[in-house]
Amino acid sequence: MQKTRFPAVLSTFVLCFAFWVLLTWSFEIQELAAGAVVSLAAALFASRFFIQEKAFRLVHPRRFFSLLVYVFVFLGELLKANLDVARRCFGGCKDVNPGIVKVPVDLPDGYAEAMLANSITLTPGTITLDIAEEDGKDYYYIHWIDVAETDRVKAGEIIKGRMEKWIGRIWK
Amino acid sequence: MSDILIFSVAFACLAFINLYRLVKGPTAADRMVAGDAADTLICCAMILFSIFSGRGIYLDIAIVGALLGIIDTLLVGRYLEGRGWNDGAADRH
Amino acid sequence: MALRIVIDVLIGIGLVFALAGTKGILKMPDTFCRMQASTCINTMGVIGVALGALLYAIFIMGSTSAAIKIAVIALLIITINPIGSHAIAKGAYRAGIRPDKPMEIDDLGRDLENE
Repeated sequence: MQKTRFPAVLSTFVLCFAFWVLLTWSFEIQELAAGAVVSLAAALFASRFFIQEKAFRLVHPRRFFSLLVYVFVFLGELLKANLDVARRCFGGCKDVNPGIVKVPVDLPDGYAEAMLANSITLTPGTITLDIAEEDGKDYYYIHWIDVAETDRVKAGEIIKGRMEKWIGRIWK
Repeated sequence: MSDILIFSVAFACLAFINLYRLVKGPTAADRMVAGDAADTLICCAMILFSIFSGRGIYLDIAIVGALLGIIDTLLVGRYLEGRGWNDGAADRH
Repeated sequence: MALRIVIDVLIGIGLVFALAGTKGILKMPDTFCRMQASTCINTMGVIGVALGALLYAIFIMGSTSAAIKIAVIALLIITINPIGSHAIAKGAYRAGIRPDKPMEIDDLGRDLENE
């Protein structure tokens, strides 16, 4: 069990308080004080489960810029994959060739791997099923609706596209 | 003005069509996927109805609905996996 | 008037993708393909509806709180949904659900047998 640390409490408090202001949307001093007390209590109890490493990691100009660029890269991939899956759905749903491929991944830490796995799951046509470690390298098991390539490295290039490079820049 | 209402009703109808898979689906995973999709569609319908009627309360309900929809999907996923909750707790101690 | 046309086109795009996802959920041949189709609803459908509603809330209603709430709903759905989708897919595979037709390549099943 991890100890409660001050930066983690502070960043959890900021998030909770922003959510409180958003839900109530009134700026009277009493409402803000009640929100601050509730957010502080929630942050004290929950921060050690919520933040495990450095709390203010994204407050850094290069990482934040990479995150902004990544959002647009990801939206482009999303639009392409959506059009592809929608075409298969409207075309009678017979044009599928499903399979599960094992794809190597090369990213610095666990947060980056989780982010790439969620991005792949969010892209229609691919779902990450599991993560396994073999010989010091990490692998994803990915269910793919149309298996175009059974070789691991080439399939990884098709599925991950440009997303892996930008996620590596965010978490470097 | 009223075309927003038509879109909203269309999303609600799509959610009802998803209930067919929820009733018929051969496995539990099928039912859960259909329920999750219906939840998201109801959220969209609620956003559109909120901006049609101009009342903010529907947006709060949509936030709560989205959060609860994820939690029950996670529960059914863990249940299907068949390991229960004790594995994670055993790792931590 | 041009703004209303833009809003209607955005919501219409969302409706088209939601229709595609619904048709996929009803008609796709096996469980995992149905999950893939349902991702269409969770991404482009929500993005289209949220963008349209955001423009409507900002420029026609003039209400900032509604706009921020709509943006937060869209962000919540888009960031949290893959976790549930991943959990249900992994659970379905571990519970022994397989498609009727054998898959093209099945690395996870092969590795599970070797363990």
